[in-house]
Amino acid sequence: MEDQIAELVAKVAELEAASGGAKVTNTVFAETYYYLTIPLMIIIHAGFLAYEMGASRLKNVLSSGVKNILAFAFMIPTFYFFGWWVYFGFPTGIPGEAGPMGISGIEYANSIAWGWGESAQYMGPNIADNISGVFFGAFALFACTTASIMSGAVIERIQTVGFIILAVVLGSFAWVVAAAWGWHADGWLVTQWGVHDFGAAGLVHAVAGFFALGVLVNLGPRIGKFNADGTANHIPGHNMPLTVVGLMLIIVGFWGFLMACVVPPGEAWSWFPDKFATIYGTPITLGSLSFNILMGVAGGIIGSWLFTRDPFWMMSGALAGIISTASGLDIYYPAHAFLIALSAGLILKPCADFLEKRGIDDAVGAVTVHGTIGLYGLIMLGVWASGFPALAIENAPTISLIGQIVGAIVFFLLGFVPGYVVSLILKMCGMLRVREGAEIAGMDAVKVPAAGYPEWGGDAPITPAE
Amino acid sequence: MFPYSEASWSVVDGAMFIGWGTALPGITTFLAMVACVVVLVIGQRSETAKAKKFDK
Repeated sequence: MEDQIAELVAKVAELEAASGGAKVTNTVFAETYYYLTIPLMIIIHAGFLAYEMGASRLKNVLSSGVKNILAFAFMIPTFYFFGWWVYFGFPTGIPGEAGPMGISGIEYANSIAWGWGESAQYMGPNIADNISGVFFGAFALFACTTASIMSGAVIERIQTVGFIILAVVLGSFAWVVAAAWGWHADGWLVTQWGVHDFGAAGLVHAVAGFFALGVLVNLGPRIGKFNADGTANHIPGHNMPLTVVGLMLIIVGFWGFLMACVVPPGEAWSWFPDKFATIYGTPITLGSLSFNILMGVAGGIIGSWLFTRDPFWMMSGALAGIISTASGLDIYYPAHAFLIALSAGLILKPCADFLEKRGIDDAVGAVTVHGTIGLYGLIMLGVWASGFPALAIENAPTISLIGQIVGAIVFFLLGFVPGYVVSLILKMCGMLRVREGAEIAGMDAVKVPAAGYPEWGGDAPITPAE
Repeated sequence: MFPYSEASWSVVDGAMFIGWGTALPGITTFLAMVACVVVLVIGQRSETAKAKKFDK
């Protein structure tokens, strides 16, 4: 008998040891998983950099690059200083009370997301905390993406510092509020309206797209974009192939972006010990993403090719394909995602033309691709996914068309209003637009002590703005 | 269109996409195939028409 008990005790100890090993493996897996999303998402920025520089005229190519690189650089520390805190502080709204899941509210944010006091232990190297740093990194890269979305729309006439201020407001505040409200298990849009936006079509893309629209209203068009009768001139960038490759790089990076929207097992915020979850705690597989991202990209390209035949719009269509299905990549059937993406590709150019006819000079179509299509995707999910539980709890709120429309309105306002107000203030302070002479001469001559193409002199093609 | 009788993720043990258990997946697959063919037909026609303008 004693031998048997001893044998059993040894067996239990062995199992406990094995279980501990599995737990460590899971923790290391979760940490590595998020860590790898970060360089993948930096590819988005390589893409935006190429895309913006290619879409700029020769005289502005480097200043567009400088602006984009600086936005990235300022986004990281400002998101560290306060963006991360905003995400955890305000899911239930203002004044920042704790939510039912116990992972929100100002008190909680103060305990994990400030860079000083006791909270600082979670904001720096800590052998007992594998996840805060990599989770922060992924979110900081989401923030950078919002700034880059706005960056392309305003090229060739915005002041550098004014742009950085706008980027910080968007990337470290506006979209973070949207994420707290609609992309957090305690978010009031989720708990009260059942809003579901798995891949951030509304809370990243639409917020950034409509923030850009608010800025564009105050910034005005590039010199030469519109004629006296209101008709628009096309201002071609200096390097369409660079732009198209940049767009393809953004697509590559989006695999990391969407991978980072998944919560793997094995870390402090995991929903399940053995399977992936969305940020709402609902189950998901990476297979869902594989099926639906690929079909979304394909549908968007095919839809936009039909009317435009233009590689710029085809690759923008690929982005639109992902964005239009992003809210429901976890629950769409692939052929269904393909059709929604195809429809997004079809409406893309007409939507961009609609804006242009109203005097908006969006140099790269960012308002349409990210803003309009983001809201389109959010609402499409309401049409098709009504009745799906929005959270993985009993008696969870369900996804509904009304809820998704409410989410779309909130995300629109969270983008447009701060974009318009802050850019108006900057305009009043003389910090928004470069002087006319500098714009005509080219912003590289004013802002950058280097030449993009030093062997190409004054024989560059003349564009309408000259 | 949640494919389970109870609106709870705790009862989900398999396919969990919109329309599972209905005709929707088949319909969307068929429509997606048709869309591909239609786009190719339109593309071929318009490209041929444009190419003819360059005939000498």
